[in-house]
Amino acid sequence: MDIAVSAHSLTKSFGRREVLHGVDFEVQAGSVFGVIGPNGAGKTTTMRCLLDIIRPNGGEVRVLGQDPRAGGPDLRRRIGYLPGELFLEGRVTGRKLLSHYEAVSGPVPPGRINELAQRLDLDLDRHTRKLSKGNKQKLGLVQAFMHQPELLVLDEPTSGLDPLIQQEFHAMLREARRNGQTVFLSSHVLSEIQQTADTVAILRDGRIIAVESVTGLRESAVRHLRFTASHTAAPDAVALLTAVPGIGNIEVLESNGGVTLSAVLEGAIQPLLHALGRLELTDLVLEEPDLEESVLKMYAMPRKEVR
Amino acid sequence: MRHPAGTTLPLFRRAFVDSWRSTLAWAAGLAAAAFLYLPLYPSIGGSDQMQEMINALPAEMTRALNYDQIASGPGYAQATLFGLIGFLLMSIATVAWGAAAVGGDEESGQLELTLAHGVRRVQVVLERALALLLRVLVLAALAFVIVSLLNGPSQLDIDPANLFGTVVLFAGLGLLTGTSALFVGAATGRRTYGLAAGAAVAVLGYVFNAVGRQSPDVEWLLKVSPYHWAYGNSPMVNGADWASAGWLWGISAALVALAAVALEQRDVGA
Repeated sequence: MDIAVSAHSLTKSFGRREVLHGVDFEVQAGSVFGVIGPNGAGKTTTMRCLLDIIRPNGGEVRVLGQDPRAGGPDLRRRIGYLPGELFLEGRVTGRKLLSHYEAVSGPVPPGRINELAQRLDLDLDRHTRKLSKGNKQKLGLVQAFMHQPELLVLDEPTSGLDPLIQQEFHAMLREARRNGQTVFLSSHVLSEIQQTADTVAILRDGRIIAVESVTGLRESAVRHLRFTASHTAAPDAVALLTAVPGIGNIEVLESNGGVTLSAVLEGAIQPLLHALGRLELTDLVLEEPDLEESVLKMYAMPRKEVR
Repeated sequence: MRHPAGTTLPLFRRAFVDSWRSTLAWAAGLAAAAFLYLPLYPSIGGSDQMQEMINALPAEMTRALNYDQIASGPGYAQATLFGLIGFLLMSIATVAWGAAAVGGDEESGQLELTLAHGVRRVQVVLERALALLLRVLVLAALAFVIVSLLNGPSQLDIDPANLFGTVVLFAGLGLLTGTSALFVGAATGRRTYGLAAGAAVAVLGYVFNAVGRQSPDVEWLLKVSPYHWAYGNSPMVNGADWASAGWLWGISAALVALAAVALEQRDVGA
């Protein structure tokens, strides 16, 4: 598959402070690539480098096959960008602002702007500076999506959006993916990346510390487990569970005739099911894998131990 | 073509249209000042009493205020409108516009989004400078029209050719302050620095002219005063010094080019 965006040893300093210390990643064309990291990790700086808003000090960046600076306006017309902090202070309506951007980066298919505004429940006839934060964000999304660019670069796209609109936005992302558009998005909320992205990169202190498929992350993530079994003594159940690979934190919650246990599972679930098959279960809860936990673990790990 | 007809120079159109309210307000101010000052000429500037009063003022003061020629119609219009109140209004307007054009837009965070679209940075600077030029021309043309209108009724006796030359200088001086603000704003990304630079050009130009005219010892100050380049030879009375006009307009154009180069070189919004 083609690579839509890549960075190799990307470095950037502001004055003496280096904020990107050699960022490496590749984004497959037609995929949704999510970058997650704590505030100040360098997500916004990386995205600005893709748009030639700031220029790297070192390393190589390729966007849709071109260097962002050499690509110039023609390259940027093929990209839709949503800045992390959107300032729209003009005394101009959303509709006029969008037609301005259309004149710059168009063409936009007829009816497309109204369609997007309707989906996001945005009033285009109000002055932009009077819009709430959420509505400004919607306007930002419309200007990024309207010309159906090959690449979408979205910095914290759902910040300020209510849950219903977030769902609509996720649907827009799925559509973009179906149309073969590539999406590069950042978030500090993992659940969002988890729901929308194919691949997730974890950025910390100006370095990518892990790139994983979301499926892979899910497999390696920790699941919480709780079950109740009748006609079993607690020590037997514990012994049975201990033999399953990846099980930890076993706790006996109740033991009176039957037994209630909780534990965490890291890794495959088949061996666990196999073991549980020998018990008479009356209740079983195997939670969604908690990616947050595994990612937080990566944030906290000393740099060398990651991977 | 990629763009449908009617969308040429989108940045210029947006910059000009977005600021029409401000352009209108400054035009109204300039018109009000002209209508206030010029009709007073027959009773103030042209009267013998007034001349006697001016003669009684210290010579330094009349030179500083450019009131030494106030007794003639052209001199009066020069000193009051183009040299003082019009100059003040034009300078404030152009400094504000110039500083907002790039530096202000960057500081408010909006330039980032514009640059992420299909534009060149050079194009952003040039189209916005063009919008600045157009607004200056609107104000200058308005001054020309109003002074022409009042010329007869107010007994100013101004030669239209001299008026035209003065208006060209008036516009050139406004452009120079505006493009100074534009350049510094574009180079630093700070609106305040742009404002300071533009205001410095206007204020220091005025002060250097006022002081430089006091004594041969400080005459060199006149050489670095854009205000003096424009009005030093009393263009309303003597006709424009076209070489000076060339300098004002030429340096303005150079500042725009420098602004484009400066913005092209650096990180935006960092």
